[in-house]
Amino acid sequence: MTVLLPTLAEPQHFSLAEKLLFVGLAMASAVGFWRRFGVVLDKILDSKKDPSFRLFPAGKRVWDFVWEVLFQGKVIRERPLPGLAHAFVFWAFCAFALVTLNHCAIAFGIGFIFSGSVIGRFYSYFAAAFAVACAASTLGLFVRRFLVRPRWLGETLSYQSGVIALLIFILMATYLASFFVNDVGPASRILWWIHSLALLIFLPLIPHTKHLHLVLSPVTVFLSRGSFAQIPPLAGDEDFGLVAGTDLTRLVSLQAYSCVECGRCTEHCPAANTGKLLNPKEIILGVRAYLNDLGPASDQPLLGKYNEQEAVFQCTTCGACEFQCPVGIEHVPILVGLRRGAVNTGAWGNPHGSKLFLALERGSNALGLSSAERDKFIEKQALPIFDGTQEYCLWLGCMGGYDPKGREIVAAFVRVMNYLGTSYGVLRKEKCTGDPVRRLGNDLVFQQLAEANLEALAQNKVKKIISICPHCVRTIQEDWKDYGTPPEIEHHSEFLARYADKLSKQDKEGKIVFHDPCYLGRYRNIYEEPRAVAALAGELIEAPRNHEHSFCCGAGGGLAFLGEETGERVSRNRAKELVATGAQTIAAACPFCNTMFRDALAATGEGAPKLLDIAQIAARGLPPSTSI
Amino acid sequence: MSSVLVVLEERGGKVSRISWEALAGGQRLGSQLGLPVCVAIVGAQTESLAAEIAAQPLGKVVRVEHPLLNHYTADGFTLALQQLIQSESPAYVILPHTYQVRDFAPALAARLGQVLISDVVAIGDGPVFTRQLMQGRLNGNYRHTGDGPCLISMQAGAFRAENSERPTNPAEVVTFTPTVESNQIRTKPGEPFRGSSQTVDLGSAQLIVSVGRGIKEAENIPLVQELATALGAELAASRPICDNGWLPLERQVGSSGHTVAPKLYLAVGISGAIQHLVGMKGSQCIVAINKDPDAPIFEVADYGIVGDLFEVVPALTEALKAARQ
Amino acid sequence: MKIIVAIKQVPERDAHIRIDSTGNWIEESGLQYALNESDAYALEEALQLKEKFASAGDEVIVLSAGPERVGTTIREALAKGADRAIHIVCDDLGARDALGVAKLLAAAIKQENPDLVLSGLQSEDLGLGQTGVIVAELLGLPHATLILHVEGTESGLKVKRELEEGWFQTVELPMPAVLTIQSGGNKLRYATLMGIKRAKTKEVRELAASELDGDAAPVVVLEQVTMPRKQKSTQILPGTAKEAAAALVEKLKFEVRVL
Repeated sequence: MTVLLPTLAEPQHFSLAEKLLFVGLAMASAVGFWRRFGVVLDKILDSKKDPSFRLFPAGKRVWDFVWEVLFQGKVIRERPLPGLAHAFVFWAFCAFALVTLNHCAIAFGIGFIFSGSVIGRFYSYFAAAFAVACAASTLGLFVRRFLVRPRWLGETLSYQSGVIALLIFILMATYLASFFVNDVGPASRILWWIHSLALLIFLPLIPHTKHLHLVLSPVTVFLSRGSFAQIPPLAGDEDFGLVAGTDLTRLVSLQAYSCVECGRCTEHCPAANTGKLLNPKEIILGVRAYLNDLGPASDQPLLGKYNEQEAVFQCTTCGACEFQCPVGIEHVPILVGLRRGAVNTGAWGNPHGSKLFLALERGSNALGLSSAERDKFIEKQALPIFDGTQEYCLWLGCMGGYDPKGREIVAAFVRVMNYLGTSYGVLRKEKCTGDPVRRLGNDLVFQQLAEANLEALAQNKVKKIISICPHCVRTIQEDWKDYGTPPEIEHHSEFLARYADKLSKQDKEGKIVFHDPCYLGRYRNIYEEPRAVAALAGELIEAPRNHEHSFCCGAGGGLAFLGEETGERVSRNRAKELVATGAQTIAAACPFCNTMFRDALAATGEGAPKLLDIAQIAARGLPPSTSI
Repeated sequence: MSSVLVVLEERGGKVSRISWEALAGGQRLGSQLGLPVCVAIVGAQTESLAAEIAAQPLGKVVRVEHPLLNHYTADGFTLALQQLIQSESPAYVILPHTYQVRDFAPALAARLGQVLISDVVAIGDGPVFTRQLMQGRLNGNYRHTGDGPCLISMQAGAFRAENSERPTNPAEVVTFTPTVESNQIRTKPGEPFRGSSQTVDLGSAQLIVSVGRGIKEAENIPLVQELATALGAELAASRPICDNGWLPLERQVGSSGHTVAPKLYLAVGISGAIQHLVGMKGSQCIVAINKDPDAPIFEVADYGIVGDLFEVVPALTEALKAARQ
Repeated sequence: MKIIVAIKQVPERDAHIRIDSTGNWIEESGLQYALNESDAYALEEALQLKEKFASAGDEVIVLSAGPERVGTTIREALAKGADRAIHIVCDDLGARDALGVAKLLAAAIKQENPDLVLSGLQSEDLGLGQTGVIVAELLGLPHATLILHVEGTESGLKVKRELEEGWFQTVELPMPAVLTIQSGGNKLRYATLMGIKRAKTKEVRELAASELDGDAAPVVVLEQVTMPRKQKSTQILPGTAKEAAAALVEKLKFEVRVL
């Protein structure tokens, strides 16, 4: 039985005049496209090459491409409804590739998707389904942008978005309408021309608007740096970071031109959410504006007119921006690059920053305290000294060695290790890993610290390190690679999770909410291990912003060492959220988070929840006879 | 004639306490070596100063007087004392280790082909002179090996001024007039002035009383202010106090506020979190009052009182007021 | 304006101190060294003066005496912005007294004929605080100590000097002159990567101590070093609030001496 379904009308017998008109318009459109796209491509290709970029191994690249581009994974996951709408538009575009080719071929009578053949008809319905979804999605997105107006899309209405939405809608509508007219007759021809005009107007608009991402973003996603928040090494004696246009690399330029201005980065940024100047979207657009105006050969400073130095130094490097970006922009290396440009040339004159750099130039820790303080702590706690025979080197870090709260965490962890019979020792002397100066962009001090530490570790024959601080873990494992080969290192949550079955459940602490540290969660992809330990002490509940959406405590990026913040304190914002969960205890896994929340909770007053590191939770379950 | 010559310094029209302490040191050295002790005072009008010195009978008192010595200048004092030393030929010259002495005594010594042994804390047999090295972490014993006078400056408090002996014979007061020409004085000193007094200058305050969360409420701050006034100290606070607006931000001590290094830092109701410690760890003397015996502040304090600040602070204010009378 | 800044390389603040086998100095092996703190302030003042005056022929020259390892600190000073350096190579600096060291420095300075000589107030190791003043005496130049701030005038310099107990004083003096700089007068600049790279091409002239001044027989000798017995420990004052308060007032009066 044949079901009488409508078929796609394909107008026939185009006159020579029509063909010439079409070709002329198409050529004009193509030229219009190239006039702008060519310029953008030149700017990207004229930028400095990325010396540390390696295409292979390409496995992760291919996976990212498939997941983020083809499946629109990130787009949908972070903003489900609008994301799905966008995905439909994207898939419709993909499905329409052949349709569009066919559409043009029709003008010359060589249409290849015959409505007559089964495959052809199936394909036309297949595309039609997507057209329906796309048209509906476009309408929905239009309503969202122009009527609902979410704040992270920005204050000013984007008329170009409206125009593009209209064109896409017309393309889909004319396609669908063609099912309801005959091949012959003016209707199909009119629809054909409307569709063609919409297409040929759309094409040159692409490189002039943020829709450039149609062309660029699949490439941008594929050509990522290779890992999250990866800071590239400086290349040669004249490289001080992103000082001027001449320092912009191809990856940075490509990323700047790929920005779709969706604002997801800003939406999740702790600085932008607490009334500060920093807006990650504006940083990227600032770089793009610089490239548009001055190009990659300019020696004008990147900071000044196009982006403000103050904003750049409000970043905690939490990575939420980079994590969210659906088009593959890597914000963290760009921000750190801009900081490097200011710090390595002495253009950043912040008194707290200078104090930090001077403290680490002359001393061993970021707090400016005498190393005798750390020696006293080691003595008081009777910590064994690492002598090359133990399995683990316990890295105290600046917080673990000098901060009263950090020391409590170390003391608790040491009790657990003793109970488990772990063989470990601490180094007699440690220098700061350099995390704060690395994130602030001071490569001179960082190099000095990394090299001195690597030498000390090699001399002491350290093979495996455990640390209570995710910043130390990240810096040792990743950032020190620029200067040598660091030993294996893990965070204490990873260690404790392995032995969770040996530690007893207490159920004393009521409800527990775990705060994911940025440098453990997004940076290291560790979410469940600390929870396994936190759950030992009670009922685990989640804060609204949890796992990879965790909201920064405000200490990262060297900010714990800089002066007072403007706007609301980031730690206050997060602490309020954690308190509002109704938990009796807040579990932390980073001494910086711990110290930030300690201050923020103190402002909450008497009813504040307890604040415990997971090491302290684990230690509480130990039998009382366990000695330190 | 071999002797110990002690050069005293005036402060506000009177002989300064550190000078009396230097004299006590000089007397100790004199009795150790069996040498008489002479005292010199330098200025344009030293009559009343000499009278003050002579009122505590000692050996010879020399008034080194010249109109061009009315204000301290390195050139003036160096010239005057060089001539005095060449005239008296003492074996030892002792000065108090003040900013003023540090400004001219090394030049004076060099002019005599000597080297000043500065900031001495003890005198041993030999004599050997002990000074502190490596920021107080090491002591060094110095010996004078050349010919000619040995110049020494004494650290404040090295010897107790109360130890100054009182010989029975009244002092002989003589005047020595050095030759000084005005073109030999190359520096022009101005009048001393204080730093700006309108805004709080914690950085230069010598005494600070700092209040923390232990104070519980804004209404209780005056309690600590009274203590600060009684001590003659500047009032400061840890971050939570300033956050709550109980005291202005300019009084905040800590990593996001001021870094201070006063002679005395009295921390009231402050636990000693690292962010606060880094702002005051350089203080010469730290006193802590806190009801928690395990508060980290006690680890850096020189003196501590474990108690309720609402009892201790008023008691301390009373005791200070009594002591000042 | 030509400014010479005399700097000293001293053991790091954090250094673990042990007495060496001779008993008259500390064990130097394994020590880390750094630029003396008040010299860093002197250098900062010199660099700021150069930036302020900004005329042709302005130079900031760092001068240091000591063994080869002093070269690292000299490079650090060049990285911070000094234009060139003079290194008086001397392996037995410790055997000289303050006058002996000052004679070396004065001889090198005389060759350069600067407008201004700055040094830090005192060193973190010996802490004599005299070298700058002796250098002024040897060169016959006027001097001032404990300086926080330097300004130029038509006739020379106007400087802000620190006095005891929170008082200050301005002093006027002609150039050339010698000033010793107190810590804390300025915000120090940090060494930058760019500075270190540029420092590689700046001149470091080496002079042998023997070329400058052979006479090194000291008149004052450091014959022994010992560890001080008193360690810092917290004295908790016991008793009732009244008793403890009274005890504290005693301490403040007689031991801390602030009353």
